[in-house]
Amino acid sequence: MVSRAGAVAINGGDLALGGGLLALLRPALDLLAPGGVVALRSSSAGVRHDLPSWCRFERHTYLECEPQSDGSDLHLVGRGRFAVAYATDAATGEADPHTGFAPLGARVERGGPRYPFTINRRDSAPPPQTTRQLYDQATLAQWDAARDIPWDRVQPLSPIVERAVGQVMTFLAENELSALYVPSKFVARLHPAYAETAMFLATQMMDEARHIDVFLRRARAGGGALGVSSVTTSRSLLSLLELEDFTEAAFLLSVLGEGTFLDLLRYIERHAPDEVTAEIARRTRADESRHVHFGVMHVRQALGCDAALARRLEETVRQRAATLHGVSGVPAPIQDALTILAAGSDEPGAVARGHEAFRELLSDMHAGRLKRLVHAGFTPAQAQLLSELHTPNFM
Amino acid sequence: MSESILLGAVAYDPKVVTIWEGIREYFRAEGVDLDFALFSNYERQVATLLAGHIDIAWNTPLGHVRVQRRTEGRARSLGMRDTDRDFHAKIVVRRDAGIRTLADLPGKILAVGSRDSTQARILPLHFLRKEGVALDRVQLLPFDTDLGKHGDTGASELDVLRALADGRAHAGAVGDLVWINEQSAGRIDPQLVDVLYTTPGFDHCMFDALPSLSEAKVEAFQRALFAMRWEEPAHRRLLELEGLREWMPPREEGYDSLRRALEETAEW
Ligand SMILES: [Fe+2]
Ligand SMILES: [Fe+2]
Repeated sequence: MVSRAGAVAINGGDLALGGGLLALLRPALDLLAPGGVVALRSSSAGVRHDLPSWCRFERHTYLECEPQSDGSDLHLVGRGRFAVAYATDAATGEADPHTGFAPLGARVERGGPRYPFTINRRDSAPPPQTTRQLYDQATLAQWDAARDIPWDRVQPLSPIVERAVGQVMTFLAENELSALYVPSKFVARLHPAYAETAMFLATQMMDEARHIDVFLRRARAGGGALGVSSVTTSRSLLSLLELEDFTEAAFLLSVLGEGTFLDLLRYIERHAPDEVTAEIARRTRADESRHVHFGVMHVRQALGCDAALARRLEETVRQRAATLHGVSGVPAPIQDALTILAAGSDEPGAVARGHEAFRELLSDMHAGRLKRLVHAGFTPAQAQLLSELHTPNFM
Repeated sequence: MSESILLGAVAYDPKVVTIWEGIREYFRAEGVDLDFALFSNYERQVATLLAGHIDIAWNTPLGHVRVQRRTEGRARSLGMRDTDRDFHAKIVVRRDAGIRTLADLPGKILAVGSRDSTQARILPLHFLRKEGVALDRVQLLPFDTDLGKHGDTGASELDVLRALADGRAHAGAVGDLVWINEQSAGRIDPQLVDVLYTTPGFDHCMFDALPSLSEAKVEAFQRALFAMRWEEPAHRRLLELEGLREWMPPREEGYDSLRRALEETAEW
């Protein structure tokens, strides 16, 4: 914060008002509170004529001109009461929609237009320090789909396993697209007082873009086609995209959806038929754990500020479950592909083991959700209910 | 909602529509039923006010003193901009023209604005005459641009500054608004021109009404007008367009010099 001096002296030399003098005068006036005085020494005769006129239009007060012994003038200008910028340091309570894109800490001139930000409260944005740390981690952890994946080591697989890989990658890419779109909806609604949140979401969106890219590359690398997109997946992801509340979306997308994906990606890594698939699953899971951590911190903060929120989130999960009513179990294409992936072949004994692995995955996912829900601030009983109501689509 | 008030304004620029649509909307939100009619020139607007077809005219100083004269001083003045008070005109000279004082003007070419521009023609010439400048020996280079708009467009003042910059004139008369704006925008070369003389202050635009305008309308108009605030985003946009930070109460003494100038030249 600049100290608000009562008087400032500047030397304008022989600068004319239109010859650069304003670049000295205006910042000097900006240092002052209304009523403060700038003493301007000037040897320009034109300034005697122009300064009073300029002051009149800007509503500063031209006080007087004192001739000096060296032939120069000392002009005294009183700072007027218009266009005084106010500080925006404190981000407490409700952020002011009139500060627009001014970065927090800037001084803002009054009278600016109102911006259509709707996420204007600190308690609906995650804590700034955590967010900042996660942003720094995310920028350090960026990787490159072309450079960091050993694409030249993709090996020919049996057709049934290759088809399963293609189906898994199709499912992952479809869900990743929703994970790219959902946060993007909220970035433009976030008040820039919480810019670190928008910046973190930008890293998340970049991560998702890279995930979409690597999953589709892997699907095509084995020479096979993409798999099926099921109506269950489609319906589940639409119910995510339609959320209009930032915290509800963070909860459903990141805590429940991406949280569940952590277990899914671990499963894919463990059962990957080649090192390329394993590396893709490992790298994307590292990114996802940041997204999940951010979501958990967000919901935890919000639950701490709003006693009614737990109930509201439960209602949101129930409503979403209702849109998927009648759907029993994981969409068939992804269920079958995950089974074959774990089986590694179409030999019935292997498939039995694959089926067992898939059943274990479902219970691992449930256990993981319980842990994350409790970490986010729900009671074990609430966690149990929410996890059971979670979409069979995983996301 | 109050009884409807019809205000006249001159459309000297497309922004005038934006300004008065905005002010109308604001007045209506304040419970004042204001509408506006646009004129292409101040002569028609003054005549229409005097005929009683509009309630209020947003007038230039020339329009204002004419309304005052034709109503024998009984017209009501309702308000003005902060920037309308203490307007000045400047005599600007080329540095290479050898003009050190006003006494050096005879024999030189003086560019002046439109003959109906208070700030770029009528008053600078009036004050030069008062200062004893032999105007019959100064060669005038007049720019009668946008006649009827009373200098509102500022076009003739920009013509004056161009004539100075390219050497067609040795000196020129402009209002301080254009002069300061052009300097602030960096469009004046301070190596080439300098200001020689500043006239005494005079007042500029005014809301004029006939003495018959009802007290209720006067009260409603002034209440809404003076409630506009620079710090209020919706108001600020309109105030910026109209060129002020704060509406001020009316005052008459700022028009004395213009009245005397019109007497002298018999240009009423
Ligand atoms: Fe992802
Ligand atoms: Fe993610």
